[in-house]
Amino acid sequence: MLAADEELANKVAELASRRGLTVRQTVNDILEQALSVEEAGISLKEVVEERWMLEKAQEIGFTFVPERLLYQVVDAAYGQGGKQFSDTWRGVGSWYGKYFSAKTDKPLDAFKEAMGLLTFGASGFSLEKQKDDRLAVTCVSERFTEGFTEVFSLFIEGVLEVLGYEVSDREVSKGIIKLKLSKRR
Amino acid sequence: MRSQIPEDTKLLILPTHLVDRLRAIAIRQGVSLSSFAADSLEQVLRADEMDASLSEAVDAYRLSEIQRGAGMVDVPRASLNHLVGKLYGRKGDELRRVWGEAGRWYGEYLRAKLKPEETLGFLEKELLVAWNLDEAEVKGSETDVSVRWVSFAMTEEFTELLLSYLSAVMDALGYREVERDSLRGMAALKYTTIGAR
Repeated sequence: MLAADEELANKVAELASRRGLTVRQTVNDILEQALSVEEAGISLKEVVEERWMLEKAQEIGFTFVPERLLYQVVDAAYGQGGKQFSDTWRGVGSWYGKYFSAKTDKPLDAFKEAMGLLTFGASGFSLEKQKDDRLAVTCVSERFTEGFTEVFSLFIEGVLEVLGYEVSDREVSKGIIKLKLSKRR
Repeated sequence: MRSQIPEDTKLLILPTHLVDRLRAIAIRQGVSLSSFAADSLEQVLRADEMDASLSEAVDAYRLSEIQRGAGMVDVPRASLNHLVGKLYGRKGDELRRVWGEAGRWYGEYLRAKLKPEETLGFLEKELLVAWNLDEAEVKGSETDVSVRWVSFAMTEEFTELLLSYLSAVMDALGYREVERDSLRGMAALKYTTIGAR
């Protein structure tokens, strides 16, 4: 016998009903599948989390690209440079800011979640809510090129400006983005 | 015995053959059998909410692991389209060459990571999920492979770059392109084996 939280047991019963199986068969199936994953040395929780992240990434129009290739292309475009290039990255950030605002009533959290996808693997990203509606954003990666660091910082600014923040302090150098923002009055 | 069970708890019956395996994993993870089983049920229900079976979720996990191992990152398609559009006029040849190099490297990486019989199926999933295409199909026989994909949002420049990338991947996997029919956001390609590699 397995003692399960009532809410969980009810959800299993709903699933069983949808699949046209008994609760017992459903529990057995689920646990068989879970065991086969765990016995293969993979964490079931990580598997489901990864599936969720891929779904989110697709939903918000992300695409995978080789990291090296991305930096090469960004640097080449950055070299040709100009304000128009910077404006575009800020513009894409604004678009995502509007998207998160329309999609959820907690756009800042949605943005933070999306950055978890964007900075997948290589870099560290943190967004801290501080006193008096202030934000501190840090993004660090040893792999970021100078050009990519700059345009990526503009992307972040673009998102947060739409969410009602303005940059009060900005430190951007190769591989390091540190922004402080305050709520626009 | 019954009085020890909290009111908001239900008992689910488990067959003995599962209990031993569950117990072994639970011990290895340092958690109780109930906690491990409940967590497993929760995770599978979460996958079900995403309309995904556990085997699909495992495939997606494997895909991400390989992508991450190959140094792939997720970026907004709109930014990438803009970058490519900005550069393509003056540096189209160079971009195609660079994308081709990246594809060749990735193909070699896939050859090292996957069994030959897994490669084409993996590539199909990758096109669909990782490249975020609307449709993708990779069909293979012993000597020939056909690839077809559609993306409603893809620019013409990005289409050409993806074609360069994909053909280089296929080349590294041992296939030579013999037919190409492409339009903006759409391609139908045929490949044949280069020979034993």
